[in-house]
Order: sequence, then C-alpha cells, then structure tokens
Amino acid sequence: MRKLDRLGWAEGIGVYTYGVHAGVRISTPGMLLQISRLLPPGWKNSRRATMQRLYSLVVAESSRRAGVRRMHILYADSERIARDPELDQVLTALETDLHRYVAEASPDKTFLHAGVVGWQGRAILLPGRSLSGKTTLVRELLRLGATYYSDEFAVVDDSGKVHPFPRPLGIREDSTYAQTNYTAEKLGAASGVKPLPLGAVVICKYKAGARWKPAPLSHGQGALELMANSIAVRNEPRQTLRRIHKLMRSAVFVKGTRGEACDSAASILNLLSTGNGQEKE
Amino acid sequence: MKEGKYPRARMDCLTREFGDEVLVYDRERNVGHCLNATAAAAWKLCDGKKSASEVAKILTRQLSAPVDESVVQLAIEELSQARLLVESEKPARRTSRREAIRAIGIAGAIALPLVTSLVAPTPARAASCLANGKPCVSNVQCCSGKCGTGGRCNG
Repeated sequence: MRKLDRLGWAEGIGVYTYGVHAGVRISTPGMLLQISRLLPPGWKNSRRATMQRLYSLVVAESSRRAGVRRMHILYADSERIARDPELDQVLTALETDLHRYVAEASPDKTFLHAGVVGWQGRAILLPGRSLSGKTTLVRELLRLGATYYSDEFAVVDDSGKVHPFPRPLGIREDSTYAQTNYTAEKLGAASGVKPLPLGAVVICKYKAGARWKPAPLSHGQGALELMANSIAVRNEPRQTLRRIHKLMRSAVFVKGTRGEACDSAASILNLLSTGNGQEKE
Repeated sequence: MKEGKYPRARMDCLTREFGDEVLVYDRERNVGHCLNATAAAAWKLCDGKKSASEVAKILTRQLSAPVDESVVQLAIEELSQARLLVESEKPARRTSRREAIRAIGIAGAIALPLVTSLVAPTPARAASCLANGKPCVSNVQCCSGKCGTGGRCNG
C-alpha cells in the first residue's frame, strides 16, 4: 500500500453511502465527473481521513510507440483487481466492486439481489440471479405505472422497510452481456425515494412461451429464497435473518415460470390487491 | 464424536420462526434450511433423551392430531440428511414417504415432514455477475470469482 501511496495522485473523492465510507483516487486529473456517475445512488461526500475501502485508479498515458498498449490498472486497497487497455472496462470493474462492497459491508442494511418496484405504497421484490430476467420484468412493471426502486438490490433496514437503490437500469438489448444504462426517468417512470413496507415477493424463472401461473409459497420458503439472494448472509447471518424476518410481515410470496414480461407484469401488480397473482376477470 | 442412541438437534445453528415453520442457518456449512411445521416440531423435541415413539406421543398431544412413529422417523431422516442433528451412534431408521403417508392417511391432519435446503451464496454469486466463458477484466465481475488468463471468467 505504501508503494501505491507514493505514486502521484491527481485527484480523489470520498464517498459515504448506506453507512459505508469509501474513496477513489485517480492518477490523472479531469475524471471526477466520470467517476461520480459510477458511484452508488444517493452517495454523499465523505471527509473521513481513513476509508473502509480505497480504490486507486492508475490511468495509462497513451504510448508514442506503435504497437505498445498501455494498461489502466485498478487497485482496491493494495490488491490489483483490474488491468486492461480499455478504460471503460476498468471503470466497469470499479463500479461492480464498489457497489458489491457497499452491499456487503453496510452496517445497518441488508442487501438482497432483487429487482424492486413500488406499487400502491408497497414494495414488490423480484429476487433472482444474473440473466434471470429481473431487469426486463422491472422495465415492464415501470411501463404499467410502478415506481422504480432498483434492478439490482433490495435494501432492507432494521424495521423491515425496503429502501431504493435506483442505479440506472442495465438493459441488455440483444440477450448478450453488453448493457446500455437507462435512468427510470428516461423510460418514463418515477424513481422512489421513500422506504416502503414489503407487499410481495415474486420468484420467477423465464421460459419462452410459458404461461404465468404462480404457486403460493409459505413464509418460511419465501424467507429461504430471500436468504439465498442475500449478499452478506455468510458474513452476517444473524442480522440477515433478523431483517428478513422483519421484512416479511403480511407479504405475499409466489413462485412460478413466466413467459414474456408483458404477459406476467399485470398479474404481478395485481398480487397486492388480490393476493394470489391471478388477473381479475 | 458420536452421540447417544437418540437423535439430538444441533444447537450451534441460527434459527428464526416464521409462523409454525423454522428457518435454520447452518454457519458451519453456510446452508439455510426451511423446516415445515411437522419437521420443526420434531426437531425441537430431539434432545438426545427421547426415542422416536416418545417424540410421536408428545407431538400427538401438541398438534392435537395422531402422529405415527413412522412420521417422526421420516422427520429424523430428513433432519439427519440436512445435517441438523448431532451425529448419532444409531443411524436413523430408513422410512419411506409412502410408509409415512400410509400412516397419516390420505386426508392426514398433519403435513409430512419436509426440510428444504439452499446454499447461502458468496457475495460474488449473490450479485450480478458474469458466467464462465464471458469476457472479463477483473475477478469481481465473475460469478466464479475468477477472471482467467485470456480475459474470460472461469473456475
């Protein structure tokens, strides 16, 4: 770390978000605006002298020699975590690591990997792994008038309420891994600000052509599914279980296979009125 | 270390009750288990001092419904497979679900014991990540936590 400290740092930023202090320092001036776009939503400046995690981004200067590719390098504390000739790739790694670190280290919130929308004053959680179609479903729910909370994390506090993590939606245009980011506003939806009590948890898997016929899940089974999507359960199992327990009062849990998002979204919103996810006749 | 002849619930797990179900987190193995009402009730009575038939008698009183010993045997087997019992000298007697269903009857007043288990994810696997073979520049991007040489997730 001392060797890194001795490098010349042109600028830096201290960030406080969800109870976590983190810093980013950069070897080249003029990049703070670009970096600030990668920070977790709702961040504030931190003036702490020591950070819980410090990122050091060494930006390569362009080489005058033909055929020589300079590498941009990213460190988290003293560990090198990314090295690539494309700066965008390294910045993506910074964003991923920082968001995940915050999700893991937050002292007073539990982060669940889930899409979240607000509907009729309650939160609908869509937990699921990568490529399970969370963002597609969130986008469709927004089109039907839901409020955007997140396409990545449900953030649960000690009272069991769900806070927003409204990072731009990462939409995969052609089922590849390449994503384009859209803010909820750009998609014509509003972003939620107020923490919400939980209304429903929808665990679904995408299968082309499937008809959405969800089956109810018991609270115990639902809690198990949430645990299996919790970022910090291995490190903080007691707090995770306590917050999941608080979260779950009077929520509806369903599980099923869905076809196209547009065919299931309306009945998911309906869960909060009917409690069974079936569309009203 | 092997324990006595009667089943005993592990005490080193974290538990939370959700109605009559119990969520158990095994910190040693990083596995979560959901015990349905019957499995949970049986687990709570496994103190190393009671036989399956004694547990069945107590459950019959607690649940105000007849609970056959074979149902308790099935619960013990499920709990044992989920490693929620201290290893016993005497292995759990194998009971088929069919045997237990027969004992309960088709319209049984209690549910068959059921333990559902899910492995707790590592932070890398729990958050959005790239599958093996996808291009990467950092370990943090890969579900496996490993961005191999050649810039592809592996492991």
